[in-house]
Amino acid sequence: MKKTLRLAAAAALLPLAVGACGSGDARSGQADGELTYWLWDSNQVPAYQACATAFEAENPGTKIKIEQFGWADYWNKITTGLVAGNAPDVFVNHLNYYPTFAAKNQILPIDEQVEEAGISTDVYPEGLADVWVSQDGKRYGLPKDFDTIGIFYNKDLLAEAGVDESTLADLTWNPEDGGTYEDLIAHLTVDANGVRGDEPGFDKSKVEVYGLGLDENNGAGVGQQIWSMYALSTGWQFTDENPWGSEFQYDDPRFQATIAWFKGLIDKGYMPDLATSRAGVSVNDAFGAGKYALSTNGSWMIGSYFGYDGVDVGVAPVPVGPSGERATIFNGVADSIYAGTDDKEGAWKWVEHLASADCQKKVAEAAVVFPSLPEALEVAEEEFAAKGVDVSAFTLPIEEGATHLYPITDHAPEIAAIMGPAMDAVLAGEADASSLTEANEQVNALFQ
Amino acid sequence: MTLVQENPTGRLAAPSAPAQRKPRRRGIRWQRALAWVALAALVLLTLFPFYWMLRISLSDNRALAAGAGSLLPADLTFGAFRRVLGLATLEEARAQGGSGASIDFWRYLWNSVLTSSVITVGQVLFSAMAAYAFARLRWPGREAVFFAFLTALMIPPIFTALPNFVLMQRLGLLNTYAAIILPFFFMTPFAVFFLRQFFLGLSREIEEAAKIDGAGHVRIFFRIILPMSAAPLSTLALLVYITSWNEYFWPLLVGQEEDVRVLTVALGIFRSQTPQGSPDWAGLMAATLLAALPMIALFAAFGRRIVDSIQFSGLK
Amino acid sequence: MSVAVAPQQPSATERPAARLRAGRSRQDLVPALLFLLPAAFGFVTFYAWPALRTFYLSFTDYSLLAPPEWVGVQNYAEVLGDRRFWKSLTVTLEYVVINIGVQTVVALALAVLMHRLTKSTLIRGVLLLPYLVANVVVALVWYTMLDAQLGIVNSGLELVGLDPVAFFGETSTAIPTIALVNVWRHMGYTALLIFAGLQSIPSSVYEAAAIDGASEWRIFWRITMPLLRPVLVLVLVLTVIGSFQIFDTVAVTTKGGPIDSTRVIYYYIYEKAFQQFDFGYAAALCVVLFVILAGVALAQVKILRAGDSDLD
Repeated sequence: MKKTLRLAAAAALLPLAVGACGSGDARSGQADGELTYWLWDSNQVPAYQACATAFEAENPGTKIKIEQFGWADYWNKITTGLVAGNAPDVFVNHLNYYPTFAAKNQILPIDEQVEEAGISTDVYPEGLADVWVSQDGKRYGLPKDFDTIGIFYNKDLLAEAGVDESTLADLTWNPEDGGTYEDLIAHLTVDANGVRGDEPGFDKSKVEVYGLGLDENNGAGVGQQIWSMYALSTGWQFTDENPWGSEFQYDDPRFQATIAWFKGLIDKGYMPDLATSRAGVSVNDAFGAGKYALSTNGSWMIGSYFGYDGVDVGVAPVPVGPSGERATIFNGVADSIYAGTDDKEGAWKWVEHLASADCQKKVAEAAVVFPSLPEALEVAEEEFAAKGVDVSAFTLPIEEGATHLYPITDHAPEIAAIMGPAMDAVLAGEADASSLTEANEQVNALFQ
Repeated sequence: MTLVQENPTGRLAAPSAPAQRKPRRRGIRWQRALAWVALAALVLLTLFPFYWMLRISLSDNRALAAGAGSLLPADLTFGAFRRVLGLATLEEARAQGGSGASIDFWRYLWNSVLTSSVITVGQVLFSAMAAYAFARLRWPGREAVFFAFLTALMIPPIFTALPNFVLMQRLGLLNTYAAIILPFFFMTPFAVFFLRQFFLGLSREIEEAAKIDGAGHVRIFFRIILPMSAAPLSTLALLVYITSWNEYFWPLLVGQEEDVRVLTVALGIFRSQTPQGSPDWAGLMAATLLAALPMIALFAAFGRRIVDSIQFSGLK
Repeated sequence: MSVAVAPQQPSATERPAARLRAGRSRQDLVPALLFLLPAAFGFVTFYAWPALRTFYLSFTDYSLLAPPEWVGVQNYAEVLGDRRFWKSLTVTLEYVVINIGVQTVVALALAVLMHRLTKSTLIRGVLLLPYLVANVVVALVWYTMLDAQLGIVNSGLELVGLDPVAFFGETSTAIPTIALVNVWRHMGYTALLIFAGLQSIPSSVYEAAAIDGASEWRIFWRITMPLLRPVLVLVLVLTVIGSFQIFDTVAVTTKGGPIDSTRVIYYYIYEKAFQQFDFGYAAALCVVLFVILAGVALAQVKILRAGDSDLD
């Protein structure tokens, strides 16, 4: 019996022992000049594969292994990889995640390499490169591509309403009466009897086509493609400073008036209620089914909106707000180098290549995203035009200097956890916009 | 007395049945009709979403939104299946709203079959051995140890996944079949609990008789307990097989390499591509149906076995 | 024939035999340990060790990406005052009650219907089909089918003159909807487990009842239910624990919303651990949940006397 007990004890201790002594490197096949590169957007795989082929030709002996995982799996795998010490050498990073990774020393700063290579960040549109400098003052990425917000519209529904497309570029908006923007939304809304939203007898309980669609995503405290373009056009800002602000301003009357107006669209029957928008089909699929005349969304959705059979689509710039300017969040992704890579030099070379005009032009040719480098952006614009997509509505705010940075702060996930339900409550009509003051206090308490 | 005739295991009693026929037939017939209607309704409810998946998989992804209200496929095409099987070119796939990602279906199918089979054999055998110790043997601390096993049911997978991943990595087992199989190979709390409950119900008579004949525990286990439990064992084996087949998160973590990638992981690429982009609905549904096909075939074969084994143990 | 019936008769002779053997309890220890060895190895390596680690981490501040720091019971103190934790617990309970309530009744009905009506493997196979499809896909299919504007179910409702329902979108209907979607996936599976139990009830018992002229209803309550008890306990313990672990469906559909109406406990733990990188706190939540679940399981086993059936 003693023997079996000892056996049981040994069995119990085995995993401990294995955990303690087996810290050897298990990343087989990575030290022999192979670099692993991860990305989440499958649409971009062919373009980056082409970049990799060119890179391998220039750097004999180095092989690039590209792997792609869907958005949710991607971050789970990155996290487990970081914990276990075998994350990919280079991976596409996102503004929501990189500050945490940088703070925990999981990704490498690249300031020296950037300087050595003589890369000037001035070539990028203003602000785009700054967001990849973390709180410690070090750079963790070069902006690869960017996105802005625009208004997708259904050409047929506009024609039915007798609206001239060219007038869409001159829309104005304010939080009091919604300006010409709300007039348009009202006019494009049609009930089951064919009565429009701005006509007497409009039945808001039986709406056939909504003037404006409501996103199925919870915009939390950013509302990137949902309400940020209105709020920012009042002159309001998310935080006291950006990036790395420490005080949020959801208690600002301009912000709360904007949200109250937005909720008002639901009450008036011009926009579907929160429940409807969250019930299953995405805002773009509902748009593709002809349920919405207008739908605000990011440039990353161009492929989806223009892909629907039987729907003729156009894009208009976001409206001009009380500040006299348009506003859109300007955001992008970058490549990060994993701190645990065993080939730092090779990893940097690959990152440098990824950010180069050569590679970015290849990406541009795929016409999926907007490259950050102006010379590559031109290529992308031509490619989009060749596909029948006029993307000027997305680039106009950049030319006008009307872009705003994504709010980059500490505690982003916690803030989302507070603001998500708080915004839901307002849009669902269970709380007043003024309730966001309390949420703001909770958010700011995180920075104490 | 119609009752007995309808009883699956009631065949033996049938010859003596007519003698005791009671005048309740009418009520019973009405009850049975109602019962059939209820069963049919549940079967229909079960099947409709499958029809819907089939419909989506036969649709053109880009026409789906506009054709949402129709019961028929939107722009009937086999494009999705071609995409999933890697038969479509990149351009063809992208034109239909697909991702352009193709998969080596047959290799992944083999990987799934192999890992699921090994897991099933190991898990059912070792869990049965443990269940035998818990249900048929008497030893101090039995209930406490059993309860400890049972509590393992309550540990969320997200908390076992991380340490287990680190373990596999340190053992150098990442991207091997072993890594995919090991955590499920020796036991699951479910399997042990399931079999223990059935073993508890077995009669001791035969066991005692065997003991008197001088049979040891090993012999009793393999020659008496296992054959007597053919029905629960085959049911469990089937469920374990399906569960292993559907396992996604764990093989995604430890088995991403082509050589060992299983079907579920390969099909994961048809889901969320970009943060907010639409998935390739048609491709996803086609992939799901294709992945379920081997399981359906298995059930067609196995389901018959279950019935047979029950009749076998009843008539022996 | 007597041999044929014997294996089907549970516990009829068990008790006297057990009494006889009570004194020999030590004698089985060595074979018991040998029989347990492989399973125990798997248990310790892949369950107990991670569980102990989680327990340890619940006393630390651990961000996953930096080494854990000991903070004592601070996480637990925070859990007690965490409004969202309690909210998520009530949401989860609501889910479990609806899910288990409906699922058990439907599965039991299905199993009895199959048992008494037909031995068709085809029907059993069909009912098991939903279980062949991954959770995530089931959730996505129902999510599209139940959409308020484009879903086929609402098209059906409109046909019969009803207003569309935003099943997943309303705070009041989201949890019941998710619960019922999972009933759909698991009812055939649960029915199969119960069915396996029904098959171990000796047919002689039904023959006797039939001879007495008992109605189906009476047979169900007087014979089937009492004899099915060990299996029902098994099924209930398993499904209740499984039900508490609801995660996938929420993750791909409502993501905890609208407002907090579907933020079930596992989703909350997941958010804390992998989105906010507050792994220590998530571990503490996990331990609290573990204690609750263990209590529930123990109570179920005790109340329903898992080991015994009433066939004496």
